[in-house]
Amino acid sequence: MTAVTLAWTELRRAARDRTFLFFVLFLPFMVILLIGVTTSGFTQERVAVVQADRSAMADALVAGLDAAPGLRVVRATTRDAGVQRLRSGEVTAVVLVPAGFSSTLQSGGSVVVPVLSTGEVGSGGSTLTTIRSVVARQAATVQAAAFATRSVSGTFDQNHARALALQRESPTAGVRTEVVDSASSYLPLGFSYSAPTMLVLFVFINATAGGAAIIQTRRLGIFSRALAAPVRPRDLVLGEGLCYLTLAVAQAALIVLVGGLVFGVNWGNPLAATVLVTVWCLVGTGAGLVSGTLFHTPEQASAIGPAVGIAFGMLGGCMWPLEIVPAGVRAAGHLTPHAWAVDAWVTLLSRGGGLSDILGPLAVLSAFAVALLGTATLRLRRSLTTA
Amino acid sequence: MTPAPSTGAAPASAAARAREPARGGGDAYEDVLVASHLTRRFGDRVAVDDVSFHIAPGEAYGLLGPNGAGKTTTIRLVCGLLSPDDGSIEVAGIDVTAGATRAKARIGYVPQEVSLYPDLTARENLAFFGRLYRLSGSALRARVDEVLELVDLTDRADDRVDAYSGGMRRRLNIGASLLHRPELLVLDEPTVGVDPQSRHAIMESIRALGSSGLAVLYTTHYMEEAERLCDRVGIIDRGRLVAEGTRRELVARVGERDRILLSASGSLGSFAAACRSMEGIDSVDVSDSTVELLARDGRLRLPTVLAAASSAGASVRSVEVVEPDLEAVFLHLTGTALRE
Ligand SMILES: Nc1ncnc2c1ncn2[C@@H]1O[C@H](COP(=O)(O)OP(=O)(O)OP(=O)(O)O)[C@@H](O)[C@H]1O
Ligand SMILES: [Mg+2]
Repeated sequence: MTAVTLAWTELRRAARDRTFLFFVLFLPFMVILLIGVTTSGFTQERVAVVQADRSAMADALVAGLDAAPGLRVVRATTRDAGVQRLRSGEVTAVVLVPAGFSSTLQSGGSVVVPVLSTGEVGSGGSTLTTIRSVVARQAATVQAAAFATRSVSGTFDQNHARALALQRESPTAGVRTEVVDSASSYLPLGFSYSAPTMLVLFVFINATAGGAAIIQTRRLGIFSRALAAPVRPRDLVLGEGLCYLTLAVAQAALIVLVGGLVFGVNWGNPLAATVLVTVWCLVGTGAGLVSGTLFHTPEQASAIGPAVGIAFGMLGGCMWPLEIVPAGVRAAGHLTPHAWAVDAWVTLLSRGGGLSDILGPLAVLSAFAVALLGTATLRLRRSLTTA
Repeated sequence: MTPAPSTGAAPASAAARAREPARGGGDAYEDVLVASHLTRRFGDRVAVDDVSFHIAPGEAYGLLGPNGAGKTTTIRLVCGLLSPDDGSIEVAGIDVTAGATRAKARIGYVPQEVSLYPDLTARENLAFFGRLYRLSGSALRARVDEVLELVDLTDRADDRVDAYSGGMRRRLNIGASLLHRPELLVLDEPTVGVDPQSRHAIMESIRALGSSGLAVLYTTHYMEEAERLCDRVGIIDRGRLVAEGTRRELVARVGERDRILLSASGSLGSFAAACRSMEGIDSVDVSDSTVELLARDGRLRLPTVLAAASSAGASVRSVEVVEPDLEAVFLHLTGTALRE
């Protein structure tokens, strides 16, 4: 009851704080909006396609590339012509659809689709990602077709066995595209990738910055006065936790809803996404409470908190995919909870994963949440009873 | 604020009230507060050293002492915010250390610093603190209105506290401790940094509360406040309670003598000699151009003293008669002035 009173009062104060509202509600949307706009149309990357196979299947691949968000296909007649356009900066990549693309695939063979790029870092990265995913999608349909064709003959049991075998093989739909590039997995398209990472980033940043509120409340003498009432320290700790959790959940829910409804972001399996968001909100709550006990002035918390949040976000793959950084940096990134959350999102969104596929990252995130909440509770209790 | 139908809070009436049955329906008790041999250390520093006192229902008790004397520490011990290293505290018959939560429900604590949410209104602040004391619903709303009336903030109830003057904040700070109708009101220097008019209002309302049967523990380093408000005063210095009693009792400890301060020139030596032989003058002190006399009934001695001055050839420029006060008591007991 006391916890609810405290949480309610603190939330009411937050709701009156314009700066706070700006950071919690407005800024994430500005960023998502900005990313949404840039990745869904206004700036399109040009890709040159050299199509040496004129089959329907190859046409479908090229059409798929053209239809992909952020990509526009221009035709090049030869490989050299494509390379020239690449060098002049007219296109960011050249896709070579090889002769025999369709026949090889139909006969069950695997095909290399070479993609040439300048190797410069920048927008090229997201272009390659997009190409990769389009090719992957194509590969999946080819596989389905192959399955159907083969299933025409044979007994049910044989077909069933084949279906199972193919199902087991199905990750190779993704693997096949890796011929294009040596990375071990592909990523969801630009915007679908950025909305979840922005959720991860902002929920955490706002929580750490929100530590300022605890420090302020303590400095106002509210806590020590409250302790003169028939109130236990743990009620106050719980109240603060409740307040931060509510804010984190509200912010996350808003990002999910607006992302989904306005920008058409796909958040993947609803159950898995809900669990992931909830666990992440708990991590944020813990981080916020720790920040509230770590710093001495509200100014420190609201300056250092976000800086730490942004640094963790960079390390943890919120700004760019960890797939593109060296293995050492990737490993270091996994010291932050962010990397585990981003991993889980990638699993949900790019591989259509469910709850069971992200149990690993969820376990790590839960451990982070428990450690942060535990530390914060101890520190907060101590600061309450000795202040 | 509504001033009390004050009787000047004479010690006798406090004693009479002390014998009234205790309110609240809790454990039977005679004194609302009994502090016995309280000791509290911070590291090597003994902030409170073997302090004992008690407060009867309706009685106002003042803890008077300079900065760092241990007033706040004593209060935090009384309110269960700090545990004593030694000694015990009972509030309304409840041991504060053992039954902190039950005891806290009987105490209204007004902290030394204003402890309110500046970005909430007075009403919202009161509602918050009321809920901490388990008030809710219409009972809470009604009580908030009563307290707003009591501290004279009804007109400004829906203004944010950061738009309040210092005096108004102090009043609200007191109001927040009255919501749950405590039996013991504990105020830690509630008038610090307040203009004289607000100070007067605060004092009057505390006096009013006292006359309604509430026991008051009041710390201050303003001697005048202790003298005006409190039935009994404890003088605390460096953690020790050095004296305790009614104003009259305390003053009697330094003797019922007035100080006569004369600023004069001329033959001060023979003037002083004349004074020494006078009836009712207990001591004479001469330094530079001042003569200080300790006299019983100082005002009555004044004509004789002035006559002696002119016949001794001393010309007097100014005269001041200082009646004994707690300041003098403090000086007498500790050898230092109350305010530096
Ligand atoms: N939390 C603490 N840690 C260490 N020392 C403390 C603590 N609280 C008080 N003290 C010390 O105990 C002594 C008494 O302090 P206290 O605050 O009780 O004095 P006070 O009479 O209330 O003074 P003031 O009139 O300035 O408010 C001081 O020497 C102070 O430094
Ligand atoms: Mg103090």
